Amino acid sequence: MPVKGSPNRNKALLFLIAVPLLLGVSLLLGPSGFGVPDSSASGKAILSLRLGRFFMGLMVGAALSASGTVFQAILRNPLAEPYVLGVSGGAGLGAALSILVGGGLLGAAGLPLTAFFFAIVTLMAVYGIASQGGASPSVYSLILSGVIVSSICSSFIMFLVSTADIEGMHTVVWWMLGNLQPGSTSGQVVSMILIVTAIGLLWLLAPALNVLTLGREMAHYQGLNAGAVTMSSLLLATLLAATAVSMGGMIGFVGLIVPHVMRALFGPDHRWLLPASAIGGGTFLVLCDAIARSLMPPIEIPVGVVTALCGGPFFLIILRRKMNHAWIA
Amino acid sequence: MKVPMTVPLNAPALAFKAVTAGYGKRPVLEGVDFAIEEGEFVSVIGPNGSGKSTMLKTATGLIHPSQGRVELFGREISSLKPRERATLIGVVPQKLESPMAFTVAEIVMIGRSGPRKRWGIPDAKDYDSAERAMIYTNVLDLKDRYFNELSAGEQQRAALAMALAQEPRIIMLDESIAHLDINHSQEVLRILMNINREEKITVLLVSHDLNLAAQIADRLLLIDGGRLVCNGSPGEVMQEELLSRVYGCDLRVQQDPYGGHPVVSGTLDALLRRPRVQKRLHVICGGGSGIELFRRLLIEGFEVTAGVLNRLDSDAEAARALDIPCVLEQPFSAVGSEACEQARLMVEQADGLIVGKVPFGSGNVVNLELAAEALRAGKPVWMASDISMRDYTSDRSAARMAGLLKSAGAVEWGGIQELMARLQQDVMKREA
Repeated sequence: MPVKGSPNRNKALLFLIAVPLLLGVSLLLGPSGFGVPDSSASGKAILSLRLGRFFMGLMVGAALSASGTVFQAILRNPLAEPYVLGVSGGAGLGAALSILVGGGLLGAAGLPLTAFFFAIVTLMAVYGIASQGGASPSVYSLILSGVIVSSICSSFIMFLVSTADIEGMHTVVWWMLGNLQPGSTSGQVVSMILIVTAIGLLWLLAPALNVLTLGREMAHYQGLNAGAVTMSSLLLATLLAATAVSMGGMIGFVGLIVPHVMRALFGPDHRWLLPASAIGGGTFLVLCDAIARSLMPPIEIPVGVVTALCGGPFFLIILRRKMNHAWIA
Repeated sequence: MKVPMTVPLNAPALAFKAVTAGYGKRPVLEGVDFAIEEGEFVSVIGPNGSGKSTMLKTATGLIHPSQGRVELFGREISSLKPRERATLIGVVPQKLESPMAFTVAEIVMIGRSGPRKRWGIPDAKDYDSAERAMIYTNVLDLKDRYFNELSAGEQQRAALAMALAQEPRIIMLDESIAHLDINHSQEVLRILMNINREEKITVLLVSHDLNLAAQIADRLLLIDGGRLVCNGSPGEVMQEELLSRVYGCDLRVQQDPYGGHPVVSGTLDALLRRPRVQKRLHVICGGGSGIELFRRLLIEGFEVTAGVLNRLDSDAEAARALDIPCVLEQPFSAVGSEACEQARLMVEQADGLIVGKVPFGSGNVVNLELAAEALRAGKPVWMASDISMRDYTSDRSAARMAGLLKSAGAVEWGGIQELMARLQQDVMKREA
């Protein structure tokens, strides 16, 4: 019996060619124009700046997209993503606090860890509110309470911003709009380790995620410890979202739409879908960032604006054509 | 203590030992006790909400009993590792829902995720089992189709294939064929009987279709109100009296002329064969007291008229919905002379009059005059008892009227059951 579920070879080939091509193009784009920077000192500086942004985009995009993929699988809902569930909002609040009050105590890992801590608290609050009545919460109540908690978090952020001094306000607002300017090297290293580890662990859970898409009861009947798998993948997905938020701010859209497109292209088997989503999300964000910084120099458009404006229509076309290969509900 | 890996010989496939289980603090099952031997085909029957699904969830370890033990092949179910459990039990749900676009082959392969090693890549044995399961259930041709695009019957066969791919020793079905067309449900049943006979897989079928259960099961477990009411062969369980009591309605059990198994049916056909009574009854009601009366009278085949009612009264609304001719007065107003006259004409056309359990006030007490008139014209009047309890007139005129009506020959009734019995009797008598 042939292994159906391995992605179509043509699509995989196209994907494998397109990804390095797009990544290469984005390295050539910048406010200084299209092309390889020369070998002068300023050229080297430009290249290193672009490489830094490239790396940030890759990590943040991969984390957001993988996180969205996992949330959609666990909650069996096409609308699930870090933002809808309030996880990004919580992480944002934690990160804003860390930026304004200073999370220096924890060193390089301070920002991502504070964000993760707040994201976890938010997720637990969302889960707690949604499961009023004891039983495991329905997807609808989860999303409803996610939206509620999310808006509470953003009010807190607004409050913090309005009471902060000018400099702090500037930093937080810029960060909130989505900004892939790399921070400290040690912070990047820590974030990268977190992201790569979390995606790796989630990939090991991919067969279990496939089973979970049939619902928790069916997963139980299939010999899965459904509670443990759900909990650990929710934690890992939250860690990914929090790390992404602490690195790049509130970049929407990637976690929601990239998983759908990848599912439309490669099918819903998470053994393939999860890596494809990570790579696709990273490439997408790198490309968007390249456009953001080179479209109208010297002004830099927030990358979150570009993800939505450029990605939206393009992905809508794909989804309209291919949605039936991804999600039937 | 280390649990021995081998399953004790001769242990029942599934045993409930005085099991009480439910959700939270509310027990749904109470003291359920039975055993199913390996290779049996057992069906669990019972009315909606009797605890059938809870029993299945308890049997699969999804719910832990608060008292008692559930044993699977001699081993307490909660002592089994999840993967081990999945190689012993396969479950076919009411409806398998796969929101994402998995193909049939992928869905069936998910059935191998229990037996397979934890991080294992599927090997030849996994593919063999999946393929055999698909051949058995006749879905091999559909293997590359999306599960969601299949018809309900094909989906259930695919779900059965997934459960079979687990290579379980007992397979449980939760109302899995209830919503299928007869051709599809017959096909799934044939597959089930095959795997039961040929592969010696124990089958536990939860079903609310009594006839289907009686037709194919070796044994029936009848559950009612969370208790096991009867455990025996179809012939022993399918008793008219027992089933009528459990299901709370009149049922009749006959032998199937071809298979010889008992067949249960309702008594609607008897109702349908009853000649329609060519009688018209006028109903005095109001405030919702007439709705049940209307319904029962119409079922019994009477023509019904009603009034005088106020517009917007719930009985007036019901009468309109049921196409019952009705004399209406303005909302919240006393019954006027014009409406009274119309109602009088209506009562003249009727063969009898019923006074419902309506409260009387100064506005509607005039309606009792209609009853008096009917009696004077020699028509029978059935009057709800205890009118004096519902008399809200300032001068107790309703209670007084009721007394007069009674002495003039009105028959009193307490409950609707009683009224219907009296109606049958009186109408028959008049007929003769």
